[in-house]
Amino acid sequence: MASIPTTRRGLAAAMRGAARPRSLEQQFQAMRLSAKCSRCLSTESFQAAPEIDSEKIQGMIQARHARPVPVSPSYFSRTSRFNDSYLALDKLLRIYGNLPIIPPNAVERVSWKTLDDFRHAVGEQVRATDYVKCLAIVKRLHQIHPKLKPAPVIQALNDFKRSVQAFKNETVKQQLDKYGRSLGNGRRKSSSARAWLVEGNGEVLVNGKTLADYFGRVHDRETAVWALHATGRMDKYNVWARVEGGGTTGQAEALTLAISRALMVHEPALKPALRRAGCVTRDPRRVERKKHGRVKARKRPAWVKR
Amino acid sequence: MSATNCLRCLGRPAVAGASRGVIVPVFAPRTAPFSTTAVQNAMPGKPQKSMEHQDRSVRVYRAGKKMKIKKKGNLDRGKPPAPGERKAFRKKIVLSNDNALPVPWVTEMVAGSLSDRKQVGTIVSLPPVLQDQLRATEAFQPTQTWGLFRKPSTLIRQESVDLIGKMEKAVENKETARIVLTGEKISGKSTMLLQAQSHAYLNNWIVIHFPDAQELINGSTEYAPIPNTENPTLYMQQNYCLKLLQSIKKANEKIFAKLLSVSSHSELPQNITVNQPLLSLINAAKEAEGAWPVFQALWSELNAQGANRPPILLSMDNLPHIMKISEYRSASFDKIHAHDLALVKLFTDALGGNARFPSGGAVIAATNRNNGPRIPSMELALKQRLAVQNGDSEGMPVKDPYFKGYDERVEKVLKTVEVMEVNRIGKKEARGLMEYWAASGLLRTTVDEQAVSEKWTLGGGGVLGEMERAALLTMKI
Repeated sequence: MASIPTTRRGLAAAMRGAARPRSLEQQFQAMRLSAKCSRCLSTESFQAAPEIDSEKIQGMIQARHARPVPVSPSYFSRTSRFNDSYLALDKLLRIYGNLPIIPPNAVERVSWKTLDDFRHAVGEQVRATDYVKCLAIVKRLHQIHPKLKPAPVIQALNDFKRSVQAFKNETVKQQLDKYGRSLGNGRRKSSSARAWLVEGNGEVLVNGKTLADYFGRVHDRETAVWALHATGRMDKYNVWARVEGGGTTGQAEALTLAISRALMVHEPALKPALRRAGCVTRDPRRVERKKHGRVKARKRPAWVKR
Repeated sequence: MSATNCLRCLGRPAVAGASRGVIVPVFAPRTAPFSTTAVQNAMPGKPQKSMEHQDRSVRVYRAGKKMKIKKKGNLDRGKPPAPGERKAFRKKIVLSNDNALPVPWVTEMVAGSLSDRKQVGTIVSLPPVLQDQLRATEAFQPTQTWGLFRKPSTLIRQESVDLIGKMEKAVENKETARIVLTGEKISGKSTMLLQAQSHAYLNNWIVIHFPDAQELINGSTEYAPIPNTENPTLYMQQNYCLKLLQSIKKANEKIFAKLLSVSSHSELPQNITVNQPLLSLINAAKEAEGAWPVFQALWSELNAQGANRPPILLSMDNLPHIMKISEYRSASFDKIHAHDLALVKLFTDALGGNARFPSGGAVIAATNRNNGPRIPSMELALKQRLAVQNGDSEGMPVKDPYFKGYDERVEKVLKTVEVMEVNRIGKKEARGLMEYWAASGLLRTTVDEQAVSEKWTLGGGGVLGEMERAALLTMKI
C-alpha cells in the first residue's frame, strides 16, 4: 500500500498533486473514504471500533449518532467542487479523447468562465494554474466534432460556460422599412440622435427645422452631414432627424453617427469609407467628474501660503 | 577717514553724477551710506567672483535698485475716433473688390433683364448709374456681401422674375401692385427689394424707398404734431423727411428734371408755380423746417391725375417695425401708434390700397426676421393672405380668441395685400451662383453636382444667405 498516503501530510500532498505518478482520479480513488476503508486514515497507535455491518443492524435500534460520510471524495480538500469537476473532465477526456476533433478555427466560439467567474460560481479559492489546466481540458473536449459530441461532455462543459454568451449575440440587421427609410441612432456626450434616411435630393430636417435653422454654426452643419459628405452621397438622400439632449456640438456629432449608421443600412459597403471618415465609432468621451478637494475635475484651488 | 557723505543728507550719494533713480554701480564703494556690503564686495584681496555672481550682487535691495513695472496706461493709443466715425465705418458700403476676378459672362442689367424668364439663374451686374441711384436710397446693406466681388451683381431668381412680372402687369393696367415680401432669415428679401428698385430705375419709374422702417418709429428723429389734425393727431418727422427728399432727389434727378408741376404751391418756403420742374420743388426743402410741406406737395404732384406721371415704386424694408406702437409720445404723454406718424401713414395707406398712382406702380414692403419685432396681427394676416392666395380655405389660420395683442389697424392695412414668399433657391439657380463665385476666385472648388448639392444642403436647402455663409464667409484652411 505504498501509494496510499496514511498521514495527513501525505494526503495533502496527494491532493495538491505534488507527486503524481498516476492520474489524479486514480489517486483519489485509491484513498476513497468509503464506509469500508475508513480505517485507512487511522494511525497505528489508535485502533478504531470494528466496522458496522449495516445489514446486520437493519431492523435493530437506529444508531443515535451515525457518522456522516461525505459524498465527494475530495470533500476534505480545499477546493472540493473544483476537484470533482476537474476529475470528471479528466475522466471524460480519457473516455472520449479519441473521438475525432475539428480544427480550432472551426470550433464554435464560446466565452468560458474567467477565473473570477468560476471562483464565484463554485465558491472556492481555485488556483489560477489549476484552472488553466482544467480549461485546457475543457477546450480539448470542446474541440470534439459537434455531431459526435456525447451528452455527458456537453453537460460537463456547460459548467464552464459563461451565463451570457457574447458570441451568440447576433447583430440585429437593420433593414429598410416599407417606405424605404432606414433608421440609425447615434450618441455623443449627452446628446442622442435618431436619423431616418430616405433616397432623395439632399434635404435635411432636424427636429422639424432645416439644417441652417437648427444649427447656427456652419461647422456644426458640416459635422451633422459629414457622413454623407465624406461618401459623396449628399445629393442622394434626404434626412429626417430627431435630436435631444446636450449642446449644439454634441447634437451635431450625435447626428453624424446616426446618419452614418442609417447610411450603412442603405449601403453596407460604405462602412470602410465611413470608418476612414471617423463616422463609425462612437466617441466615448464624457464630461469628467468633479473631484472633492478640487475646484473642477482637474483644477486645483489656488495655493495659499498659510 | 572722513565721511564720504554730507551728514545732513545721508540718503544721498556723495557723487555728483549719481542721482536718484539711476542704478548706481555696486562696485563703487560709496553708494548707500549705511551699507557696507558694496564696500566689502569691492574690497581687493577677496576671491574674484565670476561675472554671474557679481550680477547677483547687483540685485541686493539695499543697493538701491527697485523693481519697476512698466505702466501700460501711458501707451499712446492714438486719437479716439470722432463721434459718428464708428457708425460710419459700421454702415460703410463697399461695392467692389479689386482682388476678385472679373467674371467674363456677367452682363450688365438692362431694362428688361429682370423680367426675362429665360435669364433665371444667371448673374447680372448693376450698371454704375444704377449703383449711384441705389446708393442714394440706401438699398445696399452693409450685411450683404457686395464687397467680395469685382462688380456688384445680383442673381436673377424665379421669385424676382415673378415680382417684376407683377409690377409690370400692374403698370400695364394702371393699377398698384401691393406686395409684402416674407421669408426666412437672410433669404434675400432686401435683395429682392433692391431688384425691384433696379427694375424701376431702369424703366424710369419714380422710386421712393424707406431703407429702414425702424428709423421712423424708434424715437431717433425729431417729430412734431401736424397742425389742424385731430382724431387722430398726425405727426411729421421733418428731419427724416428732409433726408428722404434728398435721397429721392439724388436717385430720381433725371426724371424730376423733366416732370413739371401741375399746380402752384404758394405755402412752401420757395414759391413754386405751375410748369416748374419738380426738381425745383424738391430743392425748395433746404432745411428741416419746411421739409414736410415740400414732401406733401411732391406727393400730391406725383399723384396728380392726367399729368402723364411715370409709375411710382414705393418700397420699405423692415416692415414689422411700423406695425406697432412707436417710441414717440403725444403731448399728453400717450404712446403714439406708428400709423399716426404721417410718413408711415402715407406708406400704410398706399399698402392698404387707399392711394391710387396715376400711371400705376407698386408698393412693396419686406419683412425682416432678424431684429424685427413679433407682430401677431401681421403674422396672422400674412398667413391668412397666403392661404387665400393658395386657395386653401380649410387651412386658413384664425385668431386666437384668448389673445389680446391683435391690432385692428394693422389688420386693416394688410387685408388685401399680396404676399410673396422669398424662400429658397433651386439647385439650378444655386449652380449659376456658385459658378459665379468660383469664377470670381472666391470658391476654390470645382463646381459640380456634388459641390452644389453640398452647399445647398448646408445652406438649409437653398437659403441664399446661408449658402453664402457656408461657402464664402466661413474660413476654410
